Amino acid sequence: MSKIRVEHLKYRYPSSEKLALDDLSFEVDEGEMIGIIGRNGAGKSTLCQAFVGLVPHFYRGAYGGKVVVSGLEVLKSSVSQLARRVGIVFQNPFTQVTGSKWTVYEEVAFGLENLGVPRKEMIDRIDYALQLLGMEKYRDRHPFDLSGGQMQRMAIASVIALQPEILVLDEPTSQLDPQGSEEVFRAVHRLREEGMTVILAEHNMEKIARYCNRVMLLDGGKIIDFASPASVFSRADLTRYGVVPPVYTRVCRELNAKREGSPHFPVTLEEACEVLKGR
Amino acid sequence: MKTFSLYVPRDSLIHRINPIDKILYTITAIAVPLILPSMAASFLCMLISLSLLAAARVVRQSLPVFAFVFLILCTVVLIQGWFYPGNQTPLFGVEPFVFHAEGLMKACRIGIRVTNVVAAFLLLVLTTKPADLVEELVRRGLSPRIGYVLDSIFQILPQMMNTTRTILDAQRSRGLETEGSLWVRVKAFLPLIVPVVMSSLIHAKERALALEVRGLHFEGQRTWLREKRTYPYSREIRGGLLLVLTASIVWRILG
Ligand SMILES: Nc1ncnc2c1ncn2[C@@H]1O[C@H](COP(=O)(O)OP(=O)(O)OP(=O)(O)O)[C@@H](O)[C@H]1O
Ligand SMILES: [Mg+2]
Repeated sequence: MSKIRVEHLKYRYPSSEKLALDDLSFEVDEGEMIGIIGRNGAGKSTLCQAFVGLVPHFYRGAYGGKVVVSGLEVLKSSVSQLARRVGIVFQNPFTQVTGSKWTVYEEVAFGLENLGVPRKEMIDRIDYALQLLGMEKYRDRHPFDLSGGQMQRMAIASVIALQPEILVLDEPTSQLDPQGSEEVFRAVHRLREEGMTVILAEHNMEKIARYCNRVMLLDGGKIIDFASPASVFSRADLTRYGVVPPVYTRVCRELNAKREGSPHFPVTLEEACEVLKGR
Repeated sequence: MKTFSLYVPRDSLIHRINPIDKILYTITAIAVPLILPSMAASFLCMLISLSLLAAARVVRQSLPVFAFVFLILCTVVLIQGWFYPGNQTPLFGVEPFVFHAEGLMKACRIGIRVTNVVAAFLLLVLTTKPADLVEELVRRGLSPRIGYVLDSIFQILPQMMNTTRTILDAQRSRGLETEGSLWVRVKAFLPLIVPVVMSSLIHAKERALALEVRGLHFEGQRTWLREKRTYPYSREIRGGLLLVLTASIVWRILG
């Protein structure tokens, strides 16, 4: 059964004339990791926020079509209800710190307290989430005294503690240094091994190619393509949509090195090595 | 971590009292001298608040505040001593700066009142963790949203000041004059304040999104990570304060 079902989703921000999302329809299955790519303003963040109900409940605006996430219809559910099914992590780790708690541990408890999770269960869930993200050694630190990567992992832990079935990440590492970024991706990888369905909007195409099993290319609020990374990154017209394919794909395209029997170019380092060595 | 809170962690009985009871004490200590205008009542209240500060072992931390208050009170002594309209009995000094008994008495009364109010406030502020007070208020029915705002003030404001400092440094390194005459400073202020306001607004919107998806507006029953704390002597304190208040009102009416 599909975890996410989107049917003819259209959305326009209240202060805007043009559609930010223009007639999107697709499905996502359990355990998938979907990459969302496209130029600035393509609608990636808007789509991410449509999964968790911020679009339309927070912004309002004109909304059409239907989004169903793990059985809940977004339009008919509150953001708080949806928070237990689908979690979102934003770009800026700093603004996701509540600023009302004095330790990492309390910070992770914030959402659980709001949603009325019983105290015993709360403690189990916090311990689990901190451990999963490798944050247990910082549990008594002040939330603002963390590095960017640690802060972002704390944000993910806060969301994971709510036990969502789907995790949406909107450029989670674009404000982090390479090490912080690597920490976050390793954590996301572990979540996938736990069976989490993940949606990732990201400008780093190498990361998308390495971690995602399908890639959605957006432009002007429309879906241009939604297929395997190899298929999307092998498109000859990618630059028209403001996307530069992974460096491995570019090299192999120049050398015209395709995998045997495949119409697509390699998209990861491993695949590129394999193909190039075989020549 | 920088914060605006003046809380001083200590292991004293006063620290263990329910924050709400401390608020009630502060209100009573300020109300009684208003109900009973005699100097004795104010003096007694002041003494009690000061001894409670001592019992909480936060005298050292309250000294800077009292020093500031003392400075202001010095000017009160001068002005009242010299120029109080009811002045009749000259004591010492040379014309036109002669201290009068009535003026000094008046200054003394003001001094005691002010010290009393400051001491009562300090007792609350120095011995109470803001978060504990807010939690207690929310448990008693204050909206969790308001509770969140109160909690976050103590961290978000210092963070905003940090941002301001960062932007200030950045502007200065680009050659912006931030030192010198008033006019220079005013001119420097505008390019400084615009990015600060902009980044604060953007941050506020982003933080609102993050809070929203963590259930800040959930309508159901909330829970707490910390177990409900039991505070000692709550009933006695409230009973005692009520008694004192009623007694002073009765005294005022009869006397
Ligand atoms: N709050 C808003 N009000 C009005 N219009 C908005 C708002 N947020 C985004 N938009 C517009 O909606 C469109 C899609 O924006 P969105 O933020 O989803 O793009 P994005 O793909 O996430 O871009 P980026 O790569 O810069 O993050 C853009 O044209 C943008 O200007
Ligand atoms: Mg975006």
